[in-house]
Amino acid sequence: MNSSSKPIKTIALNKEHTAEFLNKLIKNYRVIAPVDNGKTIRFQEIADSDEIELNYSNTKLASKEILFPQTEVLFTVKKKDGKTVIEKPKPIEKDWVVFGVRPCDAKGLENSFKVFASGAHKDRAYLEKREKSIVIGYACESPLSTCFCTSVGGSPSGREGMDILFTDIGDKYLVEIITQRGESLMEQASGAKQPSKEDLAAAQNIWDTAEKSIKEILNLEGLEEKLDTMFDDPIWDEISQKCIGCGTCAYLCPTCLCFDIQDEETPEGIKRIRTWDTCQFPIFTLHTSGHNPRPSSKERVRQRIMHKFCYFPQEYGHTSCVGCGRCIRECPVGYDIREVLVKLEET
Amino acid sequence: MTEKIESIREVVGQLLKDGKVDLVIGYQKGATPLTCSPCFITDPSDVDKLIWDQRCGINLAKYLKDKEGKVGIIAKGCDSRSTVLLISENQVDKENVTVIGVPCEGVINKKKIEKTLNGKEIIEAEIKEDKIIVKGHGFEKTLPLEEYLSESCNLCRHPNPIIHDVLIGEPVTERQVDYDPNFDELDSMTPEERYMFFVNELEDCIRCYSCRNVCPSCYCKECFVDATMPQWFGKTTDLSDTMIYHIVRSLHMAGRCVDCGACTRACPMGINLRYLLSVAEKVIKDRFDYEAGIDAEQEPVMGIYDKEDSDEFIK
Repeated sequence: MNSSSKPIKTIALNKEHTAEFLNKLIKNYRVIAPVDNGKTIRFQEIADSDEIELNYSNTKLASKEILFPQTEVLFTVKKKDGKTVIEKPKPIEKDWVVFGVRPCDAKGLENSFKVFASGAHKDRAYLEKREKSIVIGYACESPLSTCFCTSVGGSPSGREGMDILFTDIGDKYLVEIITQRGESLMEQASGAKQPSKEDLAAAQNIWDTAEKSIKEILNLEGLEEKLDTMFDDPIWDEISQKCIGCGTCAYLCPTCLCFDIQDEETPEGIKRIRTWDTCQFPIFTLHTSGHNPRPSSKERVRQRIMHKFCYFPQEYGHTSCVGCGRCIRECPVGYDIREVLVKLEET
Repeated sequence: MTEKIESIREVVGQLLKDGKVDLVIGYQKGATPLTCSPCFITDPSDVDKLIWDQRCGINLAKYLKDKEGKVGIIAKGCDSRSTVLLISENQVDKENVTVIGVPCEGVINKKKIEKTLNGKEIIEAEIKEDKIIVKGHGFEKTLPLEEYLSESCNLCRHPNPIIHDVLIGEPVTERQVDYDPNFDELDSMTPEERYMFFVNELEDCIRCYSCRNVCPSCYCKECFVDATMPQWFGKTTDLSDTMIYHIVRSLHMAGRCVDCGACTRACPMGINLRYLLSVAEKVIKDRFDYEAGIDAEQEPVMGIYDKEDSDEFIK
C-alpha cells in the first residue's frame, strides 16, 4: 500500500536464517508462498518453509488470487431463532505474510488496491485482506522473453506494492525494507547483518542484468489519447479475429478484477458468493432483455485493451497492465498483446 | 512435414487468385516457440505468413462457423473430421468450404517439453526431421520428436484428411490403434480410485473455458454453463461445480469428439481433458460402431434412434 520505492533499511540475511525466520513467522502469521503442487506453481498457505518453491520465473496464476480469490463467500443469510440474520465471514485473526511475489505481481496488487479502495464504495472483502497482508517481494533474476514490465512502468526489481524486497545474491538475500510494517516484521529475523559492499554490488548486478535482458521495449507514448479516438476504428475487426473468447488471459492477469455475484442455497444458509468473471465472455454484458451491447469478440477484445490502456490510465494515471506476459504465454491461440499494442500505435 | 509448406502457399495463393475462395484459414507462427496461431489470408501476397509443421496444433475448424463467403481451410486429419462433423450437424455449408488437406504426422504438446525442462524457458526451437532442438538461457537440448507429440496424435487413427478438395503431398501411413489404453487403466480402478483420479486432474481447473472455446464441436449459442434461467449449477471453483462442468461437457461431446487434443493443449493449468472424452468415444464406438466426423452423410449418432441400438445400459 505504500508505494514509496526507497528502502528505509537494507540488511543481508543468509538462507538458513531466512528459513528460520519464515518458520518463526508461520507460528504467528498465515504465511503464503509459491508451492509446486506437482502440476503448477501456485501461491498457497504453507506449514513449513521447506514447502516453498523459489525456482520459478513466475507463478502460473498471479498473486492476485490470494487477496481476490476466484471463489469467495461475502456473507451468509440464515435463520436463527426464527429471525433472518446476515452472517459475515469471521474476521481475519492472524496477519498474512505473502512471500515470493514478483515485482510485476506486486505492482498488480498496488493497481488492484487503487480500484478496490477508491471511489465512494470501498470493497471491504478485498481491503480487509489487503490491510492484513505484508507483502514480501522477490526480485526477478531472469525475466522471460514474454515479459515487458519495463514498457509499462515496472522493473524486474520494482518495489511498488511491497513491504520488503528480497534479492537472491547466492547464499544469502539482500533484504530491502520499504515500509514500517516491513521493518517490524524483519525485526523478528535473527542473523540479520549489515550488507557488505559486495552484497550491494551483487544485488545491483542482478537488477541491472535482469532489466537489460528485457528485449521487448514498447513505445506506448500517447497511446491512451490515441485509443480514446479509436473506439470505432476498423482495426478492432482484425485484432479480434483469432480470439476465441475464453477467460485464460483475464484469469491469469494480475490486474483483471471483474467479478460476478451469485446467491447459492446451501444447508448452511443462502451464500452470497463472488466469483471471477471476464469481459471476454459473451454473457458478461448480456442484458435481461436479450440485448448484448458487446455482441461479438470485436467489442469484447476492444474492451479489454481499452480498459487496460485507456480507461484505467484516464482514472489512475498509468496503465493497469503490468507486463507479466502471462496472457501471451498461455493464450491457446497465440494472441500477443505486444503485437496488438504495436499495431494500435502504428495505426 | 516442413517441405509441404511451399505447396501449401502455392495452392492457397492460387485459390485466392482464381477467386475460388475469399479467405483461407491457416497457421502462422505463435507468440512463443513451438506454438502456432491461426492466420486469415485474403490477399495472395500474404501467403508467406503461412507455416506448416508439428507446431500446428489448433483445430482450425473452430473458425469455420459463421464465416461469410467461400472459405478455404488447411486441414489435418482432425481438422477435416471436425469440418465433416460441422457439415453433418448443419453448422457449415459444404458448398462454401474448400478443404486443403494436409496429411499429418502429429503435433507437439509443448507442455510435455516444458515439464522436462524444469521451469526453464524455451527461447528458441527448431524442428528438424525427427528431433526438436530447444535452446534457452544456458541450455540446448535435442529431444526425440516422437516422445513429445500429443497423446491424441499417438493414438490417432485418421491422420489423413477425411475429405479434401486439394491434397498436399502423399497420405501418411495410418496407425493401427484400437482404442485409448487409458480406458483400461480407468476401467480397472474402483469407483473411489477413479473419483480421486479425476479430483487430482480437475482440482486446478480455473473455469476459463479455454477447453470449450478451442473446441470446434462446442458451438452452442448458449452453453449450459452460461444458462441462467434456470441456472443448472454453480459458477464457483468448488470441486463439485468444476466436476459437473467437465462431466456434462463430456456427455455433450459423446459421439462428437474427434480427439484432436486441442483442449488438452489449450488448458493453461495442464489438465488432461482427454480422459473423460476418450471414454465417451470408446463407448460410442463399441455400442454404435460410430466415429465422429467420418461421414458427412451419416446422421449424428446422438441425433437418431434405431430399434437395433445397443440397450445394454438399461438393466
